[in-house]
Amino acid sequence: MSLRTLLLLSLITPALPLLAQENLPQEQLEFFEEHIRPALADYCYECHSEEAGKTRGGLLLDTYEGIRQGGDSGDTLGLDDLSDSLFMLAITWDYEDYEMPPKQKMPQDVIDKFEEWLEMGAPDPRMREKHYVESAVDIEEGREHWAFQKPIRPQGQNIDSFVESQLKEAKLIPNSAADSLTLLRRLNFDLVGLPPTPGEARVFHAAYQQNPEAAIATKVDQLLARPQFGERWGRHWLDVARYAESSGEPNFTFPHAWRYRDYVIDSFNQDKPYNQFIKEQVAGDLLPYQSETQHQEQLVATGFLAVGNKGLNDRNPRTFMMDLVDEQIDTVTKSVLGVTAACARCHDHKFDPIPTTDYYALAGIFMSTETLYGTIPGLQNHRPAELMVLPRNGGAQLGPSYSAEEIENMKKIVADTEQQMLDIRTNARKGGERPEQRQMVQLRNRISLTQGKLDSLDADGNTRNYAMGVREAAEIENAHVLVRGDVEKPAQEIERGFLQVLSNGEPVSIGSGSSGRLELADWLTSTDNPLTARVMVNRIWMHLLGEPIVGSLNNWGLTGQEPTHPDLLDYLAIRFMENGWSTKDIIREIVLSDTYQRASTYHEGNYAADPENTHLWRANPRQLDAESLRDSMLAVAGQLDTDRPIASPVSEVGDARVGRQIDALSFYNMNYRSVYLPVIRNAVAEPLALFDFVNPAESVPRRTETNVSSQALFLMNNHFVTDAARNMATFLTERFSHPDERITSAFLLAYGRMPAPEDLAVTKEFFANYDFEPVVAEASAERPFQRRGPGASGAEGGMEGRGPMGASGGKGKGKGKGKGRGVDTPSTANYEAVKPLPKEQEALAMFCQALISSAEFRILN
Amino acid sequence: MNSFPTRRDAIRTVSTGFGGLAFASLAAQLARAESAKNPLASKSPNFEARAKNVIFMNMGGAPSHVDTFDYKPKLQADSGKAGKYGGKGGRGSKLLGSPWEFKQHGQSGLWISELFPNLAQEADELCLLRGMHCDAPNHNEATTQTHTGSFQFVRPSMGAWTLYGLGTDNTDLPGFVVLNAGNAVNNYASAFLPAYYQGTIVGREQGGQLSGGSSMDESPEVDNIKNASQSPEAQRTQLDLIQALNRNKLKREGHQPQVEGMIQSFELAYRMQSTMPAVVDLSRESTAMKEAYGIGNSQTDSFGRQCLLARRMVENGVRYVEISSGGWDHHNNLKAEMEDHCAQIDQPIATLINDLRQRDLLKDTLIIWAGEFGRTPHGEGGDGRDHNNKGYTTWMAGGGVKGGFSYGNTDEHGYEAVEGRMHIHDWHATILHLLGLDHEKLTYRYAGRDFRLTDVGGSVAKDILA
Repeated sequence: MSLRTLLLLSLITPALPLLAQENLPQEQLEFFEEHIRPALADYCYECHSEEAGKTRGGLLLDTYEGIRQGGDSGDTLGLDDLSDSLFMLAITWDYEDYEMPPKQKMPQDVIDKFEEWLEMGAPDPRMREKHYVESAVDIEEGREHWAFQKPIRPQGQNIDSFVESQLKEAKLIPNSAADSLTLLRRLNFDLVGLPPTPGEARVFHAAYQQNPEAAIATKVDQLLARPQFGERWGRHWLDVARYAESSGEPNFTFPHAWRYRDYVIDSFNQDKPYNQFIKEQVAGDLLPYQSETQHQEQLVATGFLAVGNKGLNDRNPRTFMMDLVDEQIDTVTKSVLGVTAACARCHDHKFDPIPTTDYYALAGIFMSTETLYGTIPGLQNHRPAELMVLPRNGGAQLGPSYSAEEIENMKKIVADTEQQMLDIRTNARKGGERPEQRQMVQLRNRISLTQGKLDSLDADGNTRNYAMGVREAAEIENAHVLVRGDVEKPAQEIERGFLQVLSNGEPVSIGSGSSGRLELADWLTSTDNPLTARVMVNRIWMHLLGEPIVGSLNNWGLTGQEPTHPDLLDYLAIRFMENGWSTKDIIREIVLSDTYQRASTYHEGNYAADPENTHLWRANPRQLDAESLRDSMLAVAGQLDTDRPIASPVSEVGDARVGRQIDALSFYNMNYRSVYLPVIRNAVAEPLALFDFVNPAESVPRRTETNVSSQALFLMNNHFVTDAARNMATFLTERFSHPDERITSAFLLAYGRMPAPEDLAVTKEFFANYDFEPVVAEASAERPFQRRGPGASGAEGGMEGRGPMGASGGKGKGKGKGKGRGVDTPSTANYEAVKPLPKEQEALAMFCQALISSAEFRILN
Repeated sequence: MNSFPTRRDAIRTVSTGFGGLAFASLAAQLARAESAKNPLASKSPNFEARAKNVIFMNMGGAPSHVDTFDYKPKLQADSGKAGKYGGKGGRGSKLLGSPWEFKQHGQSGLWISELFPNLAQEADELCLLRGMHCDAPNHNEATTQTHTGSFQFVRPSMGAWTLYGLGTDNTDLPGFVVLNAGNAVNNYASAFLPAYYQGTIVGREQGGQLSGGSSMDESPEVDNIKNASQSPEAQRTQLDLIQALNRNKLKREGHQPQVEGMIQSFELAYRMQSTMPAVVDLSRESTAMKEAYGIGNSQTDSFGRQCLLARRMVENGVRYVEISSGGWDHHNNLKAEMEDHCAQIDQPIATLINDLRQRDLLKDTLIIWAGEFGRTPHGEGGDGRDHNNKGYTTWMAGGGVKGGFSYGNTDEHGYEAVEGRMHIHDWHATILHLLGLDHEKLTYRYAGRDFRLTDVGGSVAKDILA
């Protein structure tokens, strides 16, 4: 390509989108209506319009795109070089064989107007008129699909009856129940995501000897009541809700996202009815409330719609809005309904009975909603938004308060910096140079960070309580179908509404003064909706059994998978709704079934017939997910802080751009449960990312399970693991005097069982062979996951207050709440070299590391 | 770090080099003792292999074929006319002739557009497959199908099948390496194949492309490759315990693929500690070599590094390397974006072909270049093209394919494959054939049936075999 072409391209390309109707200045609009439209109609449409059905020379002049795209001879208007404009040459009859109109030249004043119009850049408002998108979807036929029909109450008494009838049919003999300690470990990880402590194991084991059923039932109730239940199950929902604390590329922090995270955790702990839970997330701002606390909670719930990925560097407000709306439609329909409605953005859904018009019926609802996600304006952020200010009485103030003097000071910093930038620019201009970019960026950063802080204060200098969420937009509007999703090609207007195939055909009525989110929330959670309850019980089933009933968790459409146990699915869905959408009740029912409690033992005959365990002849052995693995390592090291931290390290930093103004690594230096590690898009903490954490770009229904050498390298060499092993060894040394006690206790801690003779044999061999002097570490080694807070590292931290042997995982003792916020910003230079331990203890630490790196620690049977 | 190796670097090179040192061989011996029957050990193919190694260049986002390797004079001639393609979406959109000029290159006279001036000089090595088609016009599905043959289910990746069929020549390195991996790890998965066949991701930087930052010598970091306080011998003793505990578990439970996978992944990880840093160490390459790959030039740096690393891996016996270049989804801004993206990969690929040839590795190495589909001959918004899975072009070079050869054809405008049609199953069958594997015999019994990369389809395109 020649340089000239390149230059031309860069000139004309950006001009096109600017001509959308809504951007047309009034005088241009009037000019077009007064002079151009009539002239086109009089002289051109006869041969060049859709209406006339004629497109001579491939040229259409009655639409915006037509006139711009040109005809067979290529570009017609020649806006980049009017002297070369085929259009002008034709109407001035200077173009041989293309004199237009062919019979008689236009009057000169009309020609002059056209020339003037082209010089303006041919502003053209006709985009809305000519498109009509017809849908070819047969909704009636679509309703025939099994998943789009309401669940039918099946014959069968309980979960086991459905599973067992299938097993019988397949001539499989299911495994018997798992032994008590295996079951305890399974229940613990499944319900609270933590291993049972040796103390808990002893208590449970004793009770189980007395009365297994009662022991299990009691245990399940205890676990369901623990605050860690919400942390475990809330995290499952956060996967589906694509929760994160930054925007994606360009990566701006969401300092207030954590409130939504805490809301989700609390909701599971309260056993909030699932239908209510969904309603609050979609329309919490519109729901009635009894107390200010409830109001606040419902506002925060709408963070669901706000925490998604955002392309904040988009300069075009319309494409940005439609992408935002699309992201919301995608998340809501996948997470609640298990349908991929966003596929219908550009055309009718390719497989499912979802016409593109249905998509735009939903789009109108979200276009009439204002999304409040904050972020600071900047070079890479053209689309910042407001935040939701929470009523103060609903919660404690999080941020600091500033005196009038301090505020003045900050204002001065902003003013001074602005002046400084101005001076630099002026000086540079004088010298004929450009200002130094690096410095300018730094100064701009200083302004935006300081201004951001100022903006977060109320009149009294107190930090406001913000949240992410939504509210009704100032303007309520229906969407227009966009031809192939192109914002420049709007077609007919579509009344706001829902997916027809999931509706009973009655017209939806959404008031002209409201977005329709409230109606949407009601529709989503109606007991008539065939999908909502099924989709959720399927998710719950998968988390407990390892495999879902419907394999395609987020796609129940025609390309989705058939249920392995259709009757069971409907039974669970109906039970769920009848029990008031109680998550805890349905979980309790599942874990108390024989199906759940079976041993995972391998059986040759069964395996040969059903290797995927489709018929559930055994429990599926599973790898621990990333959070459980990290939490367990901290737990057995006595390092896990089970308190909930206040807010998030991201809220401490505030508004900033990840990678430029802050380093995400600085967030991960804490020993709270993994659910409280900030989720930064594209920079997830290593111990999570490496072990198949979600990519929070979109709703993720299921974690992948990989088994690769990079994980082994982490377990062998990363400081997080070696520190945990050392702390575990220190704890064991200080607690027990006899080496055998230490070893047995280590097995108990790590595996939740006593060591088998063969395990003791290989352990003995290890200690006999282990005779090494530790290598002196390189001082430069980075230790990003070491905890360096007060009283948190080394032996004391492992011992004080919270040994790993404790009998309950309840509240820690005597810890100030303020501590949770003490996340210091590590600088690489401060990382200390690893101090070698005494030889005997080094061996014990290596042994502990072997245990937590071994398969039994990582696999749940 | 300097571009030229210093004396200290040279000494270090020797001390961590392959072959030379007691530690490395000790590790290998221990490893061999550890698992006498290593499933990754080299295996004989079904018949004589034409290629031993694969470098798969994945072009994420689907580059346009009609602007690169599928010359369509009729499309140029009809540019601006109403298109007749693409059902609801396509009808009414005008055909968009390629803004770039095509010329014939090499002795073979292969048509290549001006977007690839360097690669065009290697025209006589390229085997264009211009009749490609796949089953889905969506990125995720098509990318997964390109990798695994299926998009509805999680299936083993082509790299995992290759490793399963052939093993690897260097059991001290992963046999299937993915550089610059995407987020969809299922594309590199082993699925029901044993876990040790899955792809090992190397040097994925969080949120960014693989690139070396400030220095040409900076090598991709292999995370956690070194222990801060333990000697390799101490670690080996610890590893023996881990593996003994794992084998105890395996013995108690009879059959546990996850445990087997962990055993293998630890062995490999241990060996990688001594081998991997040297393989990815770009300071061992001359400045001239790095510049030839485009390293140090911001446009070509990322893909140049990947190409050079891929060569180093293949040279060291890695069976299958996947590298990638993203951002080819040009719905708009086609002109500017294509010029930029093609320039990112043009020089690095040309250098790689040349470099492999000079080292006599090209004959054993199959280079595959492919997007997940192609793009429409009709325009989208005047300066873009939409997805097109009905006809597109991929190419191969090296090990066993006819160079300077074009196979298959799309219709007059480049919309639909009409001649020498090659479905993904056919493409996979052909790739396996080049590696000496019969796609109908390379099966794995699972869930009561024998699975293949090509499911129940696929036929080898014999015409392209050299």
